[in-house]
Amino acid sequence: MSKPLLIKLLLLVIVFAVVPLALEGFGKGYYYQIATLAFVFMLLAASLHLVTGVAGLLHLGHASLYGVGAYVAALLGSKYGIGFTIGLPLAGLGAAFVAFLVALPTMRLMSIYFAVATLGIGQMLFLVFQNWVGLTNGPNGVMLFDGIDLFGVAINSELGIYYVVAAVSAVSILILNRLSHSYYGNALRSLREDDQCTAAMGINVTVMKIQAFVISAFFAGIAGALWAYTTGYISPNDFNFSQSILILTMVVVGGLGSLPGVLIGALLLILLPEVLRYFGDIRNIIVGLLMFGAILFLPKGLFGEVNALNFARRLLGSAWSEDNSEKGIGWK
Amino acid sequence: MTAILELDSLTRVFGGLKAVDNVSTKVSEGELCGLIGPNGAGKTTLFNLISGFTPPSSGDVRFKGESITGLPVHKIAHKGMSRTFQNLRVFPNMTVFDNISVGALGMIGVSPFSSIWGGKAKAKEISERSWEMLEKVGLTAHADDLAANLSYGKRKYLEIARALAMNPDLLILDEPAAGMNDSETAELAQFITDLNKTGLTIMLVEHDMGLVMGICQRLVVLASGQKIADDVPSKVRQDPAVLEAYLGGDD
Repeated sequence: MSKPLLIKLLLLVIVFAVVPLALEGFGKGYYYQIATLAFVFMLLAASLHLVTGVAGLLHLGHASLYGVGAYVAALLGSKYGIGFTIGLPLAGLGAAFVAFLVALPTMRLMSIYFAVATLGIGQMLFLVFQNWVGLTNGPNGVMLFDGIDLFGVAINSELGIYYVVAAVSAVSILILNRLSHSYYGNALRSLREDDQCTAAMGINVTVMKIQAFVISAFFAGIAGALWAYTTGYISPNDFNFSQSILILTMVVVGGLGSLPGVLIGALLLILLPEVLRYFGDIRNIIVGLLMFGAILFLPKGLFGEVNALNFARRLLGSAWSEDNSEKGIGWK
Repeated sequence: MTAILELDSLTRVFGGLKAVDNVSTKVSEGELCGLIGPNGAGKTTLFNLISGFTPPSSGDVRFKGESITGLPVHKIAHKGMSRTFQNLRVFPNMTVFDNISVGALGMIGVSPFSSIWGGKAKAKEISERSWEMLEKVGLTAHADDLAANLSYGKRKYLEIARALAMNPDLLILDEPAAGMNDSETAELAQFITDLNKTGLTIMLVEHDMGLVMGICQRLVVLASGQKIADDVPSKVRQDPAVLEAYLGGDD
């Protein structure tokens, strides 16, 4: 069996057999919650990775787009009885639509100004969640009593819900993997490196930036719907600035531009506080110190971009193996 | 010979300074044309006007008989114009191969949908063209290295390869020999001449007089934004206005 196939099978077995078996073994809802949270944040980190890691746009309001998805799913479900099957894609599209509206005026801004603009967008949306009581129920949040249904079939068991969350996240991350490990990804990376020069290569820089921002928001919206449906209750504070910073930290600690890196970063920042629960409140300090150490000693991230791209090309088989180089360096 | 590029009374004013002042000239298909002039003569500004980086204050740029004045940079690139930069602008944190691929993919086209599903034929085309350019500049051994880790001279060739991957009809080189020693410059001169012999029209800004005198078929000389000469190198060399601009007059 070829190496890429072996690695992909291994990942599939871990996500769809080993982890659920272990969770069933523990037999507690608490572990299932953590697993769901881990998937939601891996998807959030992977989607922010496309904008901030690959395209190089510092985005400080990602959690607010995650919130738009969560509110779309929760409100459609609780007010209009629209279930998971339709609510999930609509949550993605809703977040993408909001992102498109804000992207139009902001995409011409450079670096730090763009970051401040996204900060403003994040705060603005947070205030909408918090204060537009008629729509969002304000600080009281939204309860979503409907469980997950797939095309009319209700999924009730914790294991079933795990599989839905894992499958939706896995497919989303696979799509983000194709986007960042392909020539489209190369085009986004060139924006990050030198966008004027990229324009001289015949690439419409503004359109590319808007695409990356909107696609990223779509998957943040999907993550939001997963969150709303699995917890059954959302409130504005789930989507505030500190959540945006948490997602950004996952991306930076994992490795800017490195998809496997940000997945590791997300897992680490979700699981570490749980693993360290034994230490009580000191655990937050330990997590902080570990993050600080990671950035100090591994400034390119736990799994830096160069290694991650090599990994994707050679070990995930994202590159031509039959190209002239015989080394497999051109993207499939 | 038909003109591929025509500049018609091109002027660019920055504040009170006329960086480019009423410059008209033509570049014929297949020509290797040099643009020279003392520091601050407006050479790079003129290149930026041609490639769309800076809009002209007045005047017109026609490319293949069609006005391209005011078009955005990426659209001009799609018409078949490709350029390099004076201060070397490769993508430092991308591999040599990936750098070149950006030149190819801009022209061949990529979209998010085609990269998720069904874009294999395009990806193959981009891979093959990039590899071909890599071979052309002799950087195959470095395909997998980060551009930032290449030597200065090799980065110059990388930038040219990236521009060539766009498969242009007109290649604009902004000071390709800057920072190179004599033997490197001679090698580059040969490379540019060979490219031109394949039928590619090249416009070249250069400080190195030896290089432009040796390889260009025609020279346009700028001084203080104005065109002061436009002729074959042997004539330009003896032009009193050029000598004065470069040497500061007879006295």
